[in-house]
Amino acid sequence: MATASLSAPVAAVDDLTRDRSGHVRRRTLFDRCARWLLPLLFLVAIIPIVDLVYWVAVRALPTFTLAVLTTNPSGASGGLYAPLVGSLSILLVATLVSLLFGFLGGLATAEYLDERSASMVRITANVMAGTPAIVVGLFGYVTFVQYFGWKLSLAAAAVTLGIFMTPYVFRATGLAYTSVPSHIREAAIGSGARPLQYLLRVASPIALPQVLSGIFLAMAIGVGETAPIYLTTTAVELPPVGLLQPASALPLYIWSGFQTGYILPSAIHLAFQAAFLLLVIVVGLNILVRIVAARSRRRLQGLFQ
Amino acid sequence: MGHRLARWWPYAPALIPLALTVWLIAALLSASHLQNFGWAFFGFDVGNYGILIFVIGSFLTSLPALVLAMLVGLGIALASTTYLPKFVAAWLDPFVDLLAGIPSIVYGIWGYFVLAPFFGQNVFPWTTGHLGWIPGVGANRFSPSPTGDGLALAVVILLFMILPITTVLMRDALLSVPRDLWESGLALGATRWEVNRRVAIPYAKRGIWGAAFLGFGRAIGETVAVFMVISQVARLPTNIYAGTSTMSSLIISSIDAALETNASGVTYLHFLAELALVLLAVTLAVNIAGRWMIRRTYTEVAGL
Amino acid sequence: MSSLPAPSADVVVSVADLSVRTKDRALLDHVSIDFSAKSLTAVVGPSGCGKTTFIRALNRMTELTPGLRVEGTVSYLGQNIYDRSVNPVVVRRRMGMVFQRPTVFPMSVFENAAFGLRLVRAGEQEIDAAVTEALQRAGLWEEVRSELDRPALSLSGGQQQRLCIARALAVRPRVLLLDEPTSALDPGATQRVEATLQRLKEDIVLVLVTHNVGQAARISDRIAFLHSGRLIEVGPTADILERPREKLTEQFITGRYG
Repeated sequence: MATASLSAPVAAVDDLTRDRSGHVRRRTLFDRCARWLLPLLFLVAIIPIVDLVYWVAVRALPTFTLAVLTTNPSGASGGLYAPLVGSLSILLVATLVSLLFGFLGGLATAEYLDERSASMVRITANVMAGTPAIVVGLFGYVTFVQYFGWKLSLAAAAVTLGIFMTPYVFRATGLAYTSVPSHIREAAIGSGARPLQYLLRVASPIALPQVLSGIFLAMAIGVGETAPIYLTTTAVELPPVGLLQPASALPLYIWSGFQTGYILPSAIHLAFQAAFLLLVIVVGLNILVRIVAARSRRRLQGLFQ
Repeated sequence: MGHRLARWWPYAPALIPLALTVWLIAALLSASHLQNFGWAFFGFDVGNYGILIFVIGSFLTSLPALVLAMLVGLGIALASTTYLPKFVAAWLDPFVDLLAGIPSIVYGIWGYFVLAPFFGQNVFPWTTGHLGWIPGVGANRFSPSPTGDGLALAVVILLFMILPITTVLMRDALLSVPRDLWESGLALGATRWEVNRRVAIPYAKRGIWGAAFLGFGRAIGETVAVFMVISQVARLPTNIYAGTSTMSSLIISSIDAALETNASGVTYLHFLAELALVLLAVTLAVNIAGRWMIRRTYTEVAGL
Repeated sequence: MSSLPAPSADVVVSVADLSVRTKDRALLDHVSIDFSAKSLTAVVGPSGCGKTTFIRALNRMTELTPGLRVEGTVSYLGQNIYDRSVNPVVVRRRMGMVFQRPTVFPMSVFENAAFGLRLVRAGEQEIDAAVTEALQRAGLWEEVRSELDRPALSLSGGQQQRLCIARALAVRPRVLLLDEPTSALDPGATQRVEATLQRLKEDIVLVLVTHNVGQAARISDRIAFLHSGRLIEVGPTADILERPREKLTEQFITGRYG
């Protein structure tokens, strides 16, 4: 029985360029549109960055002298010395706090927990990272400023910010220690190393660079946060003198410039300078993140064979 | 794996995130004196400590921003994974990540002092003139003001702030589509767009929803930048240019009043604490749902 | 490098002097071969010999890898598919492809098979008929006819692969390209796919890349042996297996089969 060929019912010549109903051309045109239009959407990301950096620079730089960095603010003029020192001090203490909570926690998760518990803990950390900064700030006020009685102080701000930064340090540490190749871990145990020895001498040298880059990242996030410190300290015009004394910070300074800006236009000006300084610090920390990450990747290439 | 020590104390630090979260919730609970406000809490009457206006305000700012961020982010992710050559994409992708690194307060002053006047003087007159027939887009007695701040600007700022999350997560989701699956679509005579639309996106559905949830969580928790551009007022907006409030912007704007040490100030603090708990509940729910849908490990992008 | 006797009027695909190069090396080196209607040609060779590159060059899938240069011609019914005026979308409709792993889409069995037809907005009735026919040709119809709406991913591996074949057949290509289609399947599923291919070769042109010489022996009409990007020898299956002309061919065959 001769059946008609079930392959394409065409004549002996199947013209590949013939497009009977314009279908193919239409579909290809659509695809070509996508090919050119979709990449344009990158502009939605690029234009704001460029515009923002440009405007901050334009409004900050022309009068940005060294004096700005070395004098204290007074009213709507002066410099940024106090907020700068305050920000860095708060950041330093906050980083220590986040290390205390985050590093130990991440280490314990990576080394002592089985897979299921570890992933549950990680989910908790991730969810904690999503807590709004204002909620953490309010918690900080209620707990440290009021309940602990620290009042608006560097300590309250730093501990609150440190708690806010903890999830990031926690995650980075957990991942760093988990990514120690298992054959190295097995070799260490196999040759009789005790757990603490393994940690100190084998795992940590491998993991610490990645932890460090995670710390820098947490710092980059922390230094720019306003809400956690807005509720726990207050803007003063002098650098911090003690842990239980209030400490100013760059975001606070920008904030007050915003609040009073319509009365005192010069305050806006200083606010932009503070913003510029903040951006520089954030960018600097992000660059550190990448440097450390890249260097550790390169140095550890040979391990992951 | 794991060196099983006999004692429990090495395991304990792993519970730190959980402990901190519990501590946070407990502190806010006690600060809010939960029984204070009764059911009026969930109502509209701001004088009676009703939060509904602020809840709606949060959604009115976050949802449109999310939709826009998903659309733009999807487009960027598609361009980056299937249309652009690899080295071009490698160059452009980090720009999106940069958006995530800008501190919220810097977004705030840029938004208020640069973007808002631009919108108020250039964009809104056009939209009220040409698109005013669309409900909500026309002008009324109070808005838009030439200063430009209000609901619309808050949406725009939020769009920029959550674009990195949506884009990166959707890029991940699309990259998880197996190569030969994608090529199968192409081999059937589909164009790249058709493969993306009919194969890749359905395959990556879960990751895409995860991106949506996490992006929404980020948007709704955003405080400082939103407050600075939203022309804070405890009323529902009458059109897209009007000022309004969100849960987070209310907390940060009235905290000073709440810290006054007289009776009404103290009660206001209870109110804010309870509002913070509501905000936290929404954020946690959305984040848990989102994390459950994606499986992304840590990245060097502003802590995603 | 040997070639068939002068192409007959029966030739569907004609490969002439095909070379595929990267910047550093040649993945395929001046390959010439013709494929006639109603035949199954097995393309064999050691790993890295270029058989996958070859088959992907037949439907312009090589364009997905940046940096690959294609020289020479691949003619479908006399037309060079690499000609500027030819749209790859059209080419791929004429030459279906089945991959190593079953690559069913995350949709129902029916929708998988209907995929190619939906692209051209075919009518519902036409789609129904085509899907039924394609599933029958792929030897899957009896097993899924009552549950066309079930998710394709719930099928077994062998069934999924046959669904991929049906999906490719639904648009009625003249050529079916298969890149090691059974390497991920168990022996039972493999056998069923091979049975399907044997039936299909009565109809269309099949080009089968396989690392399994036994498979080539079982179902192919011809064997083409590639080595280091060059076509060493091609001929009727029995001839290649029992009386290979080239030394390399013999080494390969006896190493894997005899």
